[in-house]
Amino acid sequence: MTTVGSDSVGTAVTFSGDWTRALSVPGPDQDEAMRHLHLLLLRASRTQVLRMRSSLGPVGSDVVEEIVHQAADDAMMALLGKLSSFEGRSRFTTWAYKFAVLHAATHVRRRAWRDRDVHLDALDVVPDRGATSEQYAEAADLADAVRQAIDTVLSQHQRRILLALVVEEIPVDVLADRLGASRNALYKTLHDARRRLRTHLRETGHLADPDQQAGTT
Amino acid sequence: MSTPHTPLEPDVVTRLILDTDPWLSCDDCFRLVDTYVESLLDDAGRDLAERDAMSAHLRGCPACLEEAATVLVLAAEDRGSDPEAALVHLERTIDPSGRPER
Ligand SMILES: [Zn+2]
Repeated sequence: MTTVGSDSVGTAVTFSGDWTRALSVPGPDQDEAMRHLHLLLLRASRTQVLRMRSSLGPVGSDVVEEIVHQAADDAMMALLGKLSSFEGRSRFTTWAYKFAVLHAATHVRRRAWRDRDVHLDALDVVPDRGATSEQYAEAADLADAVRQAIDTVLSQHQRRILLALVVEEIPVDVLADRLGASRNALYKTLHDARRRLRTHLRETGHLADPDQQAGTT
Repeated sequence: MSTPHTPLEPDVVTRLILDTDPWLSCDDCFRLVDTYVESLLDDAGRDLAERDAMSAHLRGCPACLEEAATVLVLAAEDRGSDPEAALVHLERTIDPSGRPER
């Protein structure tokens, strides 16, 4: 198998052979595969960081490059630790990209939020920063019902996590860092809170039954 | 008796009560994202239940969506496909209003 891509500066990244075998067996092929893999991860990491660059504010290219390289290095470690789990369901390169992308995105979000406080205890009520335009009037009934449901049917933990993630738009991995929780656990709380709100809103007639509502919400 | 509030913006309301079933965790999303983006690029059916669960997760999890979009862009570039067209395809696939591409 030959894979062809290009790294961030347009240099061709090519590798002929079986990635997993080359990466697993010590020798010159492994060195070559490692070198190509690192280039591939740099390209993926740089693509992710540049796509999110505006969230970093006015930082120089040195900061961008530092994040790109750190994420690629972290991804290399993570990928090699999971090499045996590659099942060949996708191209190896696509499988590899996701490690660099995850680490790059996490680094960027952490950096973008590092000087911002997160106060969950301020999120016991839905913050008042909604719409003012007349055009929202017809949606106001549902919006009021949602606000009331958040106050009454969710646990305090569900309410805080839902408002932090959806209204405050704190990234899930940043919130997980701050709370010492896992990204999975926070997303599960969010999922359960949404499901609970929907169930309640169906009971109060603000949402149609699932069978009837396809295409209406 | 309640204090009058300014209404929540419609897009916030939509995201607060988004239907993100069938359940899929962020870890499972990471595990499946490479095959998911390739199935979008190849327009292959693959496992529809898995694809539905991935689409639901990406609808409700902006961080995973941000990452999946980049994996898609990279995989599209490798195939010589148009990354922007691939991103539009992704947006349509996870669109809660239509769920058109089953
Ligand atoms: Zn997620």
